[in-house]
Amino acid sequence: MSESSETIAIETAKSGSTMNTFQRIWEFIERSLVWGGDRLNPILVKETRQALKSRQFMVTFGLLLFCGWIWSILGVAMIGPDIHYGARGAEMFVGYYCILAFPLLVIVPFGAFRGLTSEKEDRTYDLLSITALRPRQIVSGKLGSAFLQMAIYLSAISPCLGFTYMLRGIDFPTIIAFLFYLILASAAFSMIAMLLSTLTGSKHWQIVLSVFVIGGLLCGFWAACVIAVESFDRGGTSIPIDDKWFWIGNAMFLTAYVSYFALVFLAAAAQLTFASDNRSTRLRIVMIVQHALFTGWMAWIWLTEHGEEEIALVYMILAGLQWYILGGLMTGETPELSNRAKRNLPQSLLGRVFLAGLYPGPGTGYMLAVTGMLSCVVMAVAALLVAEVIGSFGIYQFQRMSFDEAIKYIAIGYIGFCYVIIYLGLGLLLLRFVKRFTRPTILMAGLTQVALLMIGCGVPMVIQFSLVSLRNARYSLLQIPSPIWTLVYLIDRRGWRSEMPLLLIVLSLAAMFIFLINVPSVARQVQAIRVAKPKRVAEEDAQLDELKHGPQQPARTSPWDD
Amino acid sequence: MIDSNTMIEFRGLFRHFGQTKAVDGVSFGVERGTVFGFIGPNGAGKTTSMRILATLDQPTAGDAFVDGFSVVEDPDRVRHRLGFMPDYTGTYPNVNVREYLDFFARAYHLRGAKRERAVEEVMDFTGLDVLADKPTDGLSKGMRQRLCLGRALIHDPTVLVLDEPAAGLDPRARIELREMIRDLAAKGKTVLISSHILTELSEVCDTVGIIEQGRLLAVGAVDAIQHPRHKARQAKKVMEIRLIGDTQAAAEWLAANAQIEKPQTDGQKISFLFDGDRQQQADLLRAMIMADFQVESFGSRRQSLEDVFMQVTEGLVQ
Ligand SMILES: Nc1ncnc2c1ncn2[C@@H]1O[C@H](COP(=O)(O)OP(=O)(O)OP(=O)(O)O)[C@@H](O)[C@H]1O
Ligand SMILES: [Mg+2]
Repeated sequence: MSESSETIAIETAKSGSTMNTFQRIWEFIERSLVWGGDRLNPILVKETRQALKSRQFMVTFGLLLFCGWIWSILGVAMIGPDIHYGARGAEMFVGYYCILAFPLLVIVPFGAFRGLTSEKEDRTYDLLSITALRPRQIVSGKLGSAFLQMAIYLSAISPCLGFTYMLRGIDFPTIIAFLFYLILASAAFSMIAMLLSTLTGSKHWQIVLSVFVIGGLLCGFWAACVIAVESFDRGGTSIPIDDKWFWIGNAMFLTAYVSYFALVFLAAAAQLTFASDNRSTRLRIVMIVQHALFTGWMAWIWLTEHGEEEIALVYMILAGLQWYILGGLMTGETPELSNRAKRNLPQSLLGRVFLAGLYPGPGTGYMLAVTGMLSCVVMAVAALLVAEVIGSFGIYQFQRMSFDEAIKYIAIGYIGFCYVIIYLGLGLLLLRFVKRFTRPTILMAGLTQVALLMIGCGVPMVIQFSLVSLRNARYSLLQIPSPIWTLVYLIDRRGWRSEMPLLLIVLSLAAMFIFLINVPSVARQVQAIRVAKPKRVAEEDAQLDELKHGPQQPARTSPWDD
Repeated sequence: MIDSNTMIEFRGLFRHFGQTKAVDGVSFGVERGTVFGFIGPNGAGKTTSMRILATLDQPTAGDAFVDGFSVVEDPDRVRHRLGFMPDYTGTYPNVNVREYLDFFARAYHLRGAKRERAVEEVMDFTGLDVLADKPTDGLSKGMRQRLCLGRALIHDPTVLVLDEPAAGLDPRARIELREMIRDLAAKGKTVLISSHILTELSEVCDTVGIIEQGRLLAVGAVDAIQHPRHKARQAKKVMEIRLIGDTQAAAEWLAANAQIEKPQTDGQKISFLFDGDRQQQADLLRAMIMADFQVESFGSRRQSLEDVFMQVTEGLVQ
């Protein structure tokens, strides 16, 4: 009796100690979960809680499982006894892929679009925007919940994907690659949808926009399905992981993807930022980094391709397009810097001149675009000269390059840049005129460029077709204002056209002229000088600093100033 | 800044919507720890000025300051110290009361035990603790108001801006709200409150401002506004007379008197503004009795906020 009670006592003591370790581990886990949970984005936490209770989510999830199940049965029935011998995994995979693509490419991005819109409709956005959450946190919270939904849908279909792998006919890297691109597409769609939802506050435009978004997403979904079906139909059931160019292509694609994603992300956050804050500098830094990365990739390809001249043309045309679009949008910024933005301007004149392109304002945006394109010309010419020198010393052979050909290509690129400088400059002038009546917006700037382009290309074309003498001529100098016709004509046969010298002179002069007209307004923006922080702000900053670093040493002052 | 104790300051604030001048040059300050009542007819510009103060709207010109920080230049700093209760409740579907408050506590960067304590305290203070697990979009109007107040309080702001907090509350809840506001002021919070129910404001506010068509018509301590001594125009008393018999004739007789303004008949009661001292009051009574009016009662009434409001505003709607 006493013995048994003793053993029980020992047992309990033992289990108590194991309990303790378990408890301690459990407590630790709990504590780290709480710690992590505290640092999670509040919006992510709230939307996850909401999603778990929402009917829409349950229905989508249920439908996904149901479709996966139906397809499994249908597929197995269709394949029949072949399932034991043939490698039919790829066919099954395409089905599951399309089933998964619908929630990922339509439902999740549309949810991201609605995320902000519905907050505005329910008037919770006001409440949210006056909390301590920064706009970037709001965007990343919404994005995070999109990713979470993707993960849940993906995990729902993953047993099916495992099944396709076991059927053979599709290898593991291919499955991973397809899912990876699908997730990238889903994230990109979500991000773009979110940016679109910040563009307008009015209900009518939101409705119009949502129709476009749904249409776009459905097209995206359809395209994804077609691509999958096509690529498997051609028998390409495995991706070429041994191919060097596969990886290089992917690296280039990812560079572009990440940089554009950052750009759109920051643009969406900037849309949500209060008006007096500097909403531009961060975006412009990303643009510059993007430009540098693009230049780097192009240089690398040019080197590995032993100086293929066409690369210079591709480089300049893509850069010109990029700066045309970004520059067009930047010219829609408000010309007046808020006092808040002026607090962080560079203090020296030199700093102001060299960093001008980074600070908000239409003129500085124009400067940035022009500088970006000029740097392209410099890079291209420099590459050419370097190649000549290196070639002549026999260090590295740019076999494919001919100096004369390359110069022609650079000239075509240069003409493209002249057009961009002219059109952006005209847009800037127009918007300055518009400013007398109403406050220009980014959207307005975009529309101005579209209108200018339509006039520049359309009017000369109409004139040419209505003149009997010119109707049958292919290209005439009447088309100088039309960048599209001119550039297509020049690029078409890639050779030296007789109009080239004239085009170079006329367009250079025009670009210079338009640029010079804009210089005074740009200069006015560059002249904006730093203003001191208001006293109260400086006080609080000092207080916060003290809290962070302890009391500060009084700054040493020179004995001469008092 | 007027001085470092001014927690809220409007400085020449304008907000125009096209032709509508919703706020038209408003300037005033509110001291720390006091309650300022904002009164005005519909469309006077109360909500508009409060939204600007809460950094939700941009002024056309001028600026407003919270604890010395401009709402235009430093809205981020203003947001930390300001709690705003709008005249609507933004609720989320599928979120219960506790989750709702928890979300906003997180949004104000409250963490761990601090956040839990903030949520508990606010639910306790507003009496929402019994509803903690109810979905927010199924709450009654009064409960929503409480939720909204709770949300505004979650980060323990020093300045509170409440836009018609009493709308839709039952009488008991109104009294409770009044006590809550007094509590908050006693804790050193500065409160800006707008309302249509003037008796309520007069009991809870230290200072009131009357606004109409975007312009501030009168500002001052409640007592000073009710008993203006210095301003001749407002040194009038509200008199009330009850009569037996023909009130109409009496009203006409009164209207002929130069010292009397705005006589109003209400059944057997006539009320009017009287411009004179106590001796002249007695003279008036004697004159009425001499004129054979059967006066049942005769007296001056303490001028209520409503009277001031009716005097100062003209009922113009823009
Ligand atoms: N977004 C807006 N667009 C156009 N006009 C507006 C807008 N907001 C307010 N107004 C106008 O500004 C004026 C003041 O409105 P506000 O809501 O500030 O009044 P209020 O004093 O709060 O009135 P109430 O007591 O009815 O709440 C009104 O004439 C209103 O029509
Ligand atoms: Mg209102």
